[in-house]
Amino acid sequence: MQQAAKATTDATRFLSDLLKRRVVDASQGRILGRLQDLVADARQALPPIIGLVVAGPNRQRRLLPWSQVREIKGKAILVEAAAGSALGPVVVNPGELLLREQLMDKQIVDTAGAKVVRVNDLKLMQRGGQLLLSGVDVGLRGLMRRVGLQGVTEALLRWVFSYDLGENVIKWHRVQTVGSEHILRLKLSQARLASLHPAELADILEDLDPSTRSRVFHALGKEMAADILEETEPKVQVALIKDLSTAEAGDILEQMSPDEAADVLQSLDQRRAEKLLREMEYEQANTVRCLLDHDEETAGGLMTTAFLALPPQETAGRALQILQKKAPELDVFYYIYVEDEAGKLLGVVNLRELLSADPGATLGALMFTRLVAVDLEADPDDVAELFAKYGFRALPVVDQMGRLHGVIRFKALLAAVAPHLGR
Amino acid sequence: MAETLNPGGQPELRRSLWRRLALILAVVGPGIITSNVDNDAGGITTYSLAGADFGLRLLWTLAPITVVLILVQDMSARMGAVSGKGLAALIRERFGAAVTFYLMIGLVLTNLANTIAEFAGVAAAMGVFGVEARIAVPLAAVLVWFLVVKASYKAVEKVFLWACLFYVAYIISGFLAGPDWGGVWLAMARPSLEWTPASLTMVVGLVGTTIAPWMQFYLQAAVVDKGLTAKDYRIVRWDVIVGSVAVSVVAFFIILVCAVTLNAQGIKIESAEQAAIALKPLAGRYAAALFAFGLLNASLFAACILPLSTAYTVCEAFGWEDSLNRKFTEAPQFYILYSLMILMGALAVMWPDLPLIAIMYFSQVLNGLVLPAILYFMLRLLNDPMVMGDQVNGPLANLVGWVIIVALSLLSLAMVYLSI
Repeated sequence: MQQAAKATTDATRFLSDLLKRRVVDASQGRILGRLQDLVADARQALPPIIGLVVAGPNRQRRLLPWSQVREIKGKAILVEAAAGSALGPVVVNPGELLLREQLMDKQIVDTAGAKVVRVNDLKLMQRGGQLLLSGVDVGLRGLMRRVGLQGVTEALLRWVFSYDLGENVIKWHRVQTVGSEHILRLKLSQARLASLHPAELADILEDLDPSTRSRVFHALGKEMAADILEETEPKVQVALIKDLSTAEAGDILEQMSPDEAADVLQSLDQRRAEKLLREMEYEQANTVRCLLDHDEETAGGLMTTAFLALPPQETAGRALQILQKKAPELDVFYYIYVEDEAGKLLGVVNLRELLSADPGATLGALMFTRLVAVDLEADPDDVAELFAKYGFRALPVVDQMGRLHGVIRFKALLAAVAPHLGR
Repeated sequence: MAETLNPGGQPELRRSLWRRLALILAVVGPGIITSNVDNDAGGITTYSLAGADFGLRLLWTLAPITVVLILVQDMSARMGAVSGKGLAALIRERFGAAVTFYLMIGLVLTNLANTIAEFAGVAAAMGVFGVEARIAVPLAAVLVWFLVVKASYKAVEKVFLWACLFYVAYIISGFLAGPDWGGVWLAMARPSLEWTPASLTMVVGLVGTTIAPWMQFYLQAAVVDKGLTAKDYRIVRWDVIVGSVAVSVVAFFIILVCAVTLNAQGIKIESAEQAAIALKPLAGRYAAALFAFGLLNASLFAACILPLSTAYTVCEAFGWEDSLNRKFTEAPQFYILYSLMILMGALAVMWPDLPLIAIMYFSQVLNGLVLPAILYFMLRLLNDPMVMGDQVNGPLANLVGWVIIVALSLLSLAMVYLSI
């Protein structure tokens, strides 16, 4: 296998196995130093190794282009006779990766499994004259290889449990690095994270250490950030908001649904919350402010105000048009509420009825008037009972005069009564 | 100055005072909690033995130990606040898998010894109430497991913390015992050390129980977990100092009272009842019950934290899922490690005729042996700009750090050498 190092078939190597090897001048046998790191071009789908960081005598680090490598043989890496003069200063350009320094032992995101893991080793593949980064070893086998006990562990497991220790390698194109900032700016890597569901991303952010967390959060863009913020637990929400500038945080809050935004603001300290509210668009800030007035432990604290309420004389056709236009900013679109001029809740029309109704029919004629609504001060547990009994997707919240104030979504309720299931 | 900060023009003195208080309360915690767990079964035992066996002769060691405790905890907290990462993660990222692996083995063993000591504490305490170890220990193990996994540990933590007021009993007892205060201050002012295995082992034990290896991981994790950053650091430092001084004051009085009551009468501590004699000046014939209550609380508190901290630390180092919010199938290593620590800790104590007091003591000696290694890595990390940015250690902090490491290593070596 060693003889064919720079030729023919794909052979597998691990970074841990290459590191510390002597880099030797092939013709004279002169030792240039020891291999300390590899530089890969991360812009490629399978990043090729483009350089070797060689630690010479007196620990000086120098870069040797990959083109100088002749073969990997025994415990040495043989390089061209003229390699000594090809050594230069270690420069890492944007898009390039120092495998050991920036990846080994660091946290990465496994986008296939949607979780954060630590890199135990890196799997390289020899193809033609190239050495390519093909995968990331996150398994016990990789860990024990690093410790130098791979053989012992394997033998022990086979002997005691008759268990063969398998390889746990994540393919490189499934890996999202989160280590250093310049990597994250790459469009390609961002796309990998963006393929995950916001709820998965929220879980991932919770697993990352705080400094990495805020860096990733930053790189994801406002809309994604808003979606993620809705899914994270309050403690992490506060931490994420804390790291943002007031302007950024304000923008993100605007993207969130009002009830979720209110929840976030509630867990911040008052002064900061006030600042953020002032940063937000006037109308949205007002909506959120109204929601903030309600105790978190009541129906008022759970409701959202992003719903559609129309007068009874409106026709089904018009209602559909309005719904279509407003849909992007609505939290509740399955029910259209009907209210009089005083804001008193008269009835409700659901989307199915609206779609199948004659476009000329008025909402007043279509609406369902046997209403189930909860009081602003109602207890979340009572609200939960109503949801369970009637199987609604959302419940309107009214005051004692019967005026409509907001709507509780099933999701918000779930987070309140069963926090261990939600989020 | 206040006006320029306040464009509205109205001085908001009272409000800003409340705000500051709220801010302090939000930050305070990690240091004080760590310190209170520090006074665990092993701690109480070691301090009691120090007083009973050596009288006031080792009291002076608390002064340097306190200083070192503050400095070391301050380093942990600072590293957590600045880097936003746990100590295990930093060690793994900076020193690689092999070093981390062996360090974790050392830490797990030490923490296991400490956990055994906590269950030994439970056994000793319940023994005073006439409950046998084979009943008390399994009950305690199940209780601890359920408290942390199934119930809300955070709520329970407050109960434990309030129960720590028990230590005040030692302080009152100390005053009631009416020691010769002149002699106490003289003992503090004139440090002396006998170069005997017993004496050196005791000093290593005192250091090990006060500055335990797990504390560095736990404190740093707590600081990171709380989301504290370099900005909050001034308050974090006070949290650490107050906590450390509190530990030492309690230690001071335990040693003092044991010296006055036990050492003076030539009583050797071999059981909890004997250790409880120290509380006689305060509690009279209820001394044993009071002591048992305090020991039980300390043991259970630490028995919750130690296995948990161990599981978190190891999972962090190896990149395994580590959260009580995850199900077993999502974080198997975490739950297995946590459960194994409790199981093995409890099982070890169930062994018949186990010398409980001796176990509690030697677990602390083991702490003292592992500590220099961990401090060495901490010091290296604190000097790494990749970790600390522009907040790397200054030359003075480094000098002090190295002196501590060398002194502790020499002390441990001397102990081992003399013991052989």
